[in-house]
Amino acid sequence: MPRETFQQELDRLVEEVVELGREVESCLDTMVEVLQSHDAGVAGRELGVDSRYKERGAEIDEECMVLQARQAPVARDLRLIYTVQAVTNHLVRAGTLCEHIYRAVSETADAERDPDLDTALFEMSRGARDLFREGLNIFEARDIDRARSLEAEDDKVDLLYSEAMNLAVNPGKEGAGSPEWRVRAALTVHYLERIADHGVDIGGRTVFLVTGERMESAMRQYRDRKLDQYDD
Amino acid sequence: MSEVSGERSGVGRDQGGQASTVPKTSALGMKIEDLSAYYGSFKAVTNVSLEIQPNRVTALIGPSGCGKSTFIRCLNRMHEVIPTAYAEGCVKLGDQDIYAKDTDPVTIRRRIGMVFQKPNPFSKSIYENVAWGARINGYKGDMDELVERSLKRAALWDEVKDKLKKSGLDLSGGQQQRLVIARTLAVEPEVILMDEPASALDPVSTQKIEDTMQELKERYTVVIVTHNMQQAARISDYTGFFYIENMGDPGRLWEFDETTKIFSSPSRKETEDYVTGRFG
Ligand SMILES: Nc1ncnc2c1ncn2[C@@H]1O[C@H](COP(=O)(O)OP(=O)(O)O)[C@@H](O)[C@H]1O
Ligand SMILES: [Mg+2]
Repeated sequence: MPRETFQQELDRLVEEVVELGREVESCLDTMVEVLQSHDAGVAGRELGVDSRYKERGAEIDEECMVLQARQAPVARDLRLIYTVQAVTNHLVRAGTLCEHIYRAVSETADAERDPDLDTALFEMSRGARDLFREGLNIFEARDIDRARSLEAEDDKVDLLYSEAMNLAVNPGKEGAGSPEWRVRAALTVHYLERIADHGVDIGGRTVFLVTGERMESAMRQYRDRKLDQYDD
Repeated sequence: MSEVSGERSGVGRDQGGQASTVPKTSALGMKIEDLSAYYGSFKAVTNVSLEIQPNRVTALIGPSGCGKSTFIRCLNRMHEVIPTAYAEGCVKLGDQDIYAKDTDPVTIRRRIGMVFQKPNPFSKSIYENVAWGARINGYKGDMDELVERSLKRAALWDEVKDKLKKSGLDLSGGQQQRLVIARTLAVEPEVILMDEPASALDPVSTQKIEDTMQELKERYTVVIVTHNMQQAARISDYTGFFYIENMGDPGRLWEFDETTKIFSSPSRKETEDYVTGRFG
């Protein structure tokens, strides 16, 4: 097959992205744990991971630039490189948000908490982590059928977001927690919602990679096709 | 862009020749319906239908032997020049059927000019190369002015203005190709067909030809066959991909779309394999 070396370079590029993604994913796993355990020691040890992700992201960006300069990619090759850069950006940003949450946990370990809001945070963190993982799985497998369910999953996280924000404004029965903790908790709710969005976007970018169409329009066509089937 | 309507200025009627001072004119487009081309009993191209948009560059790409040259030569009735070769179907320039019985092929070839891969200037002076076509077409205007204007539009004027009496054959390959373009322009065609006009040229000359094409489309409709896909991506507005599915079949127009679509997300797999260099 012609352009074998180029194809190998593209394959390696994708491997690097997935590898980086898996690292961020495991970082999110730890985040879910510390949101449950409130273990300042664990959270503190993780601080600084995001600079590693940023460095790796910059390396991938650089490789994309070199490939574009040397190989003049078009069509699916161009879409792949474009997607790799976008997905890498989502990964690095999710890693940075995770870093913010580690910092919040490590600095409020002994603070008084609102147990209801605390539970909502933990629930939301699992939802966000799962969405992120699903987005990454979809990218790795280029499985755009699964991308269709991402939006629904994201709606669940958005629902948890409303609940958590509501609790942040209206303290639970068992006490409001310290003001400092409440502020950190509200910010964390926001970070988690962003992480979930990055997961959805990774899935959306995959739809573009495979179909050449933006997520919304590809989804519309899918729905229209479904409707047509009922006509048969 | 260049969608300026208005009366097309006839040969010699506009002044100067600097693109910036001359009002833009609109050219005619072409419409091809169900075109098939034969060499004797061999069918080289089958059932091509497409519209060539006026004042746009349309690129034709595809593997060797899939009928691009054959097809483009059908667009100005050059194909039938080869003994036993003929075409079926309909080709229109604007509203005029160029294959209609009462249509003179020589007139068609003036209105739809052709530039070939290998520059083919006459062994005459640079000046005469450009003036010749207009002269045999009975041009009565200011010939100096016509020659200057045509050479300017072909982006060659500055390089040859001091040696117009020298032979066209003394120019470099890239200059010769632009001289041929100037010669084609001097008879004020509607459409310029180019069959791999830059494939025998060095990168700098190629760049000059590509730049020229961007200016040409302000006044003319341009169709170019090219092997260089990046060239198609750079210069054209529309791209047609010719392809032969099975050995021995005639060539077909496999996909036709805006160039941005063809090079970002073509609809058919064969097109994508070809433009990404995965073909073969
Ligand atoms: N003068 C000719 N006589 C017979 N067959 C020809 C002639 N010119 C081209 N062909 C055949 O027609 C087919 C298309 O050729 P051509 O139009 O030159 O393709 P392309 O320009 O895409 O490389 C090929 O099979 C070629 O061998
Ligand atoms: Mg050819």
